[in-house]
Amino acid sequence: MRFLRFLAVELGLRGVVFTLAGTLALVGLYLLSVGSPPEQYLKSGRSFWLMVTLSPQFSVENAGFSTQQIIGSGAAITFPLALAALLFLVLVALVASSISASSAYLAAMQSGRGGWRLGGVGGLGASLLSAVPVFVGYWLLYGSFGMNPPPLFIAVVTVALGGLGWDAARFLTLDMKRQIEMTHTQVFSTLGPPVGRVLPLPGSVTGYLLNSSAPRFIPYIAGKVPAIIGGVTIAEMVFNFPGLGSTLLDALVNRLTDTLIASVFVLLAVNALVAFLVKAALFVLYPRWYEKAL
Amino acid sequence: MKKLFDVLGWVAIAVLLSPFVIAWLPLGGVSTGLPAPWWHSLLLSFRQLSITLTATVVVAGVITLGLGYLSILQPVVGKVTAGVLDAVESVPAILVALFCYAPVAVALASHAGAYSTNLSLAVFIFAATLTSLPEAVRGLALPLGELYHRKYSVSMRSYGFPKGRILRVLLNSKAMRDVIRRTAAGILLKTLVLDTSFSFIIQVGMGANGTPAHTSPGGLIAAWRMVLLDSSSGPPELFWVPVGLLVMVSLAFLLVLGNDKEAAV
Repeated sequence: MRFLRFLAVELGLRGVVFTLAGTLALVGLYLLSVGSPPEQYLKSGRSFWLMVTLSPQFSVENAGFSTQQIIGSGAAITFPLALAALLFLVLVALVASSISASSAYLAAMQSGRGGWRLGGVGGLGASLLSAVPVFVGYWLLYGSFGMNPPPLFIAVVTVALGGLGWDAARFLTLDMKRQIEMTHTQVFSTLGPPVGRVLPLPGSVTGYLLNSSAPRFIPYIAGKVPAIIGGVTIAEMVFNFPGLGSTLLDALVNRLTDTLIASVFVLLAVNALVAFLVKAALFVLYPRWYEKAL
Repeated sequence: MKKLFDVLGWVAIAVLLSPFVIAWLPLGGVSTGLPAPWWHSLLLSFRQLSITLTATVVVAGVITLGLGYLSILQPVVGKVTAGVLDAVESVPAILVALFCYAPVAVALASHAGAYSTNLSLAVFIFAATLTSLPEAVRGLALPLGELYHRKYSVSMRSYGFPKGRILRVLLNSKAMRDVIRRTAAGILLKTLVLDTSFSFIIQVGMGANGTPAHTSPGGLIAAWRMVLLDSSSGPPELFWVPVGLLVMVSLAFLLVLGNDKEAAV
């Protein structure tokens, strides 16, 4: 029953309904703001229906990318890129928080200071990297690889530059550090577990800390999905990937409503799908916290 | 010792923010060895960026404060507002900015000079405020609400203090002043990222004739990006100097955010 409710809320309401309603709302607001006549609304509504039903009749008036191409681009480029960036973001946060929290733990237990100094230098380095605009990283990739850079590199730039990785690492680190002094961690540490300095592996101190922090970290990651999609959209514009990015820009300025509908729909659908996957992880791993978040 | 580090930290932040001050100094006669039009554009872009950031933080700050008050005094309104802001937050910020600009693209292209610049700035401030509000309101309303529902606030209410006055007193506390500083740094950082990224992609996608009409370091970087690939277009400093200045400014905001988060542990 809980699983069905989860599917209804996350996949049905926040996935399908949000994507469809969001596309309609954004395109409707756009038509309103450019002062379109009433018949244009009807025409756009019909186009929207043709797109949703994957009709070949959609967008025959506009030269350029077809719906299938735009949706195909979303499935083949935007979605995997967003997913890769998300996984890399989680990995960065896990490694950084393990190093930092284990140093803090050892400093608290053994009164060492070396770990703190190392953490300070690492933090400054991460801040410097985050202060570099993400588009500068994309342009350097363009300079090195031309129009076809390895997708993994795009994901790395999206997370490492511009502050996404920095913010996620800080969020998890601070949450884990808060628990070091708590009684439950002190009790756990009397069992003499390994510290887990690089990764919060199960059975280690950092693994235990992560287990307590994860119910807050997973919703945080879900909230960062739009920022990842935003970064990927910029990459698509820089590298001129087919279907999205610059196509959306052209559609907005040149009032190509059909192309606009397809591009917005694909972007919001990818956004909703990635967010759903993160929420599913929360539901499977921490069902009580998921219920609480509702 | 800790105080000395604090003072040094604030001096470092002031130095990192110096591009905004230098941009407003009369530097007409200074010879840099770089093309004069580029130098002029650089100064102009940082002046306009400082205006954009100041205006956005003021507008977003006032609205955040208003919504924060309202969410505590009128919980029903607060819940509805939170729902709306959640929906806004789930749309990528760059998409929000694109949609805000699209309707005025024709007006921006057909008008020149101050009108176009002011309209472009106003649209951008609207877009930046819209995208930074969800996090800002949440960041302010949650700790303020927590303080308001603590025991001593309840005692103040039992003595007959009006709710608005209690909130004003709570806002003046050190904890809330730190929250306000963190919220302001968050708004500034988000606006900076949005402004520069947006100008970059518009310049890359549409060239010099695209929106926005107000100059931004992001647009300047995009306009001179080819110097990295083709040395005959100009020296690489034309690309790297604005990047370096942007890194300085971003780092200042990150340090403010980092200091506050560290203190919160």
